This record gives sequence, structure tokens and C-alpha cells, in this order.
Amino acid sequence: MKLIIFRGGGFAGMVARTELDAKSLPRDDAETFASSIARANLREEPPPPPEKSWPDAQLYELCLEESGPTLNVRYSEENLPEDVRLLVAWVDGRPERVESMGP
Amino acid sequence: MSTTREGIHPRTLCSIAPPDLLGRLAVEGDPRQREAAVRALATSAAIRSQRAVMGYLNRQLNVNIGKMVGFGVIPERRLTIYDNKTNGRTFLPGVRARDWGEPPVKDAAVNQAYDGSSATYEFFRDIYQRNSLDGAGLELISSVHYGVAFDNAFWDGTQMVYGDGSGRIFQIGGLTRAVDVIAHELTHGITELTAALIYSKQPGALNESFSDVFGSLVKQFTLNQTAAEADWLIGEGILVPELGTALRSMINPGTAYSGDQQPGHMDHYKDLPDNNDPRNDNGGVHINSGIPNHAFALAARAMGGYAWEKAGKIWYTVLTTRLRANSQFDEAARATVDVAGTLFSSTEQDMVHDAWKQVGVLS
Ligand SMILES: [Zn+2]
Repeated sequence: MKLIIFRGGGFAGMVARTELDAKSLPRDDAETFASSIARANLREEPPPPPEKSWPDAQLYELCLEESGPTLNVRYSEENLPEDVRLLVAWVDGRPERVESMGP
Repeated sequence: MSTTREGIHPRTLCSIAPPDLLGRLAVEGDPRQREAAVRALATSAAIRSQRAVMGYLNRQLNVNIGKMVGFGVIPERRLTIYDNKTNGRTFLPGVRARDWGEPPVKDAAVNQAYDGSSATYEFFRDIYQRNSLDGAGLELISSVHYGVAFDNAFWDGTQMVYGDGSGRIFQIGGLTRAVDVIAHELTHGITELTAALIYSKQPGALNESFSDVFGSLVKQFTLNQTAAEADWLIGEGILVPELGTALRSMINPGTAYSGDQQPGHMDHYKDLPDNNDPRNDNGGVHINSGIPNHAFALAARAMGGYAWEKAGKIWYTVLTTRLRANSQFDEAARATVDVAGTLFSSTEQDMVHDAWKQVGVLS
């Protein structure tokens, strides 16, 4: 299982890519990773964003690679569910993650 | 959730009356109902300022700030800084960290947001006789320490929000250090209450450009720089050095950092879709803003002197009186040429026209 997070828009207008592969994690952490992903409920439709975008709001795309087709889901700062935010913050805190700039 | 937090706490509101009802009355009621509803919301234990009520209405009920103008103004309070304590959107604004008129606190980000908001307020008041974002003294709300190592700053429709930076894109503490970033975010508030340019494609790139223009002008004003002396950089020295010196260059778009894709001419306009894809930036709003940015910097340099005196005044007048939500580059360009003639003379008019010609918007 692999999660790729794209973040873009924002004040800088830069695109950042962050990837975390469960295989790179110690077993306990891989389990935490899996349960964080399950809690984030990526298959659930996010709440609609407000009528007017927030200027400089960050845009997110999460790509989950499991067995079967990749799941791609997009959010913006305005409608990012709390459990997805926590998942992103957890991934950001992992030394095993791989980061790069650009799309 | 703890009730000691000053973030908006729906349960506390429910103890008075359903917040949706109060919110609707605050926006749609007759003047007396509006006042009573705002007072009811504002006197709850959780919401200590009327301005925070507006943030609540915006976030929870999707009510636009433009509809709230005319209430909730506390004239003696110019600005307040809150600490989001890394909790993110659901905890905006956060805990009050420094009130208007209070001395500096220990937290540098709080003081920087305070000073930067104050400098921006004074710039618009002294140079363009504008009393805050709405022209009627609207309190400026900022939250610092948003999210965890968050690499962004934004305007949420009612307030400014600043992350701490991760040290991988933005330097830690970088986002509140640059006064042009603060002025950029505040200008989004002015745009929202005036031209209300939609945040997509060309109107979105104009929205972005006006924020960069006044962001840069506030910086030039605080440094007392002429158009010739200014570096015309946005967010200079706040990226990690490996990425580059700044986020954008108005005088030389596309050169601020490695990977900077900003065009400085219509020949290189990037027609991206607005489809929520983080790679497409709301239809390239932070990319194509390079074109009107370039036109402004060229016009300001041609006119000489302090950029806020002539070019800035022309752009300010156009933003606040001439544009509409869907204005495109050519419409904005023609409006600046027109206003240059009204405010100054045919010399300035020619200089503005020539600047837009150099970037390929006018012929
Ligand atoms: Zn912006």
C-alpha cells in the first residue's frame, strides 16, 4: 500500500509531492498507517466546498495505491476532512516519506 | 472539545439558540434582528468578538463577508491576532494571542502578524484614505501557527491565516516575517469587498496580481524605496535557500526560484483548467499573475518616483471602482489606461498603455 499526496495552489503556487510506502515502515507503524487511511475514509465524497474559493487555499490530491485501481481523491483547504488532515500530518512526520517538488 | 478554547464551539452556541437561525437572522433579518442576532452570537462564551462571529458565519454557514458589511464593526479595535495552536481549520480563529493596543508578546509570529497587519492598515489609510478592508474600519483578524508545519498562508474569506512553514519549502517562521506576504493576504480581503474577482483563470490571476502589487507596495513603503530601488520580489528570503530567493519576481517573472513557471508575456500564458487539481492552481492563478504583475512593475518604473504615488493609485482606483467579478486581463488593462488619464495626464496614460503592450495584453 502506497499513498501519494500532491499539494498545490496556495500562496506560493508550487506543487509538492509526498509519497509514503507501507513497505518502508516498521510493522507497528505500517498498521497505524493503514488504520489512519481507513479512518480518513478516502472513498467518501468530501463535503462541498464553499461557493467562493478561499484565495491561496491549498489544494490536495491523495492517491492510494492498493491492489486494484488507484484511488484518486481531491480536497481543498475549505473542505479537507479532519481525519484526512491528520493523515497528511502523520505522513509528513514520517522519516520514510519521499518528497519532491513539481507535478 | 474544550470550552476554554476561544475557537468557535457549536455546542456553546446551541445553548443560546440554534446557530443556523441566529446566523440567518444576522445576515437576512431586518436591521434590528441582525443586530440582536450578532449580539446573541457575540455574547456567547466562545465567541468574544463580533468579528469572530463573522468568521463563524463564513465557515459554518457559507455566508460571504460581503453580505456582512455594515455590522460587527468595533471602531476602536483595529486588529487582533489569534493562535491556532496547530489545530487547523476547525479551530479557527483559535486562542486570542494579542489584542489591539497590547504590547508585544513572547511569540514572534504573533508580533510579526500584528506589525505587518498594522503596517498594511496604515498604508491603505495614509496613501489611499481607505479605513481597513471595507473602508469602514473592519477589524483585521489573523491566526498564526495554523496546522502542523503548514507551508502556506491564505485568506479564508474573513481573516488571514498563516502556517509555521515546514523548513522544506518555507523556512520555519518565514510566512509571517515578510510584510509583503501579510499585505498580499489582506489585499485579498479588499478585492473580495470591491471588485470581487472570481478566483479562477484570468480574473483569478488578476486577483492574485492585485495582491502582489499591494504586497510589494507596502514593502516598498515601509522601506521608503522608489520604483527604481525596489527589488519587485514577493516573499524574498522566506523559502528554503535550496529552492530560491523569492516566490515571484514582478519585474522579471519566472526567475524567482528554481521551477518558477510565471510568464511575463501573453505569448507564454498558461491556459490551465480550473478543476481542483492541485497541479492546475485554480486555472493558473499564481502562474499567469506574472503577466499583470510585469505590466505594473514596468508602468511604475516608467513613471519613476514612489510606485504607490502614481501606478499604485491607478491600480487601486481600478480595483475598487472599475472591475467586476469576471474581468479579464484586457478589460483591466484598458481600465488602468483610462484611469491614468483621469488621475494624471496623457504622459502617464501612454506609459501605462506601453507597459501593457510590452506584456502583450494591449496592442
Ligand atoms: Zn494570493
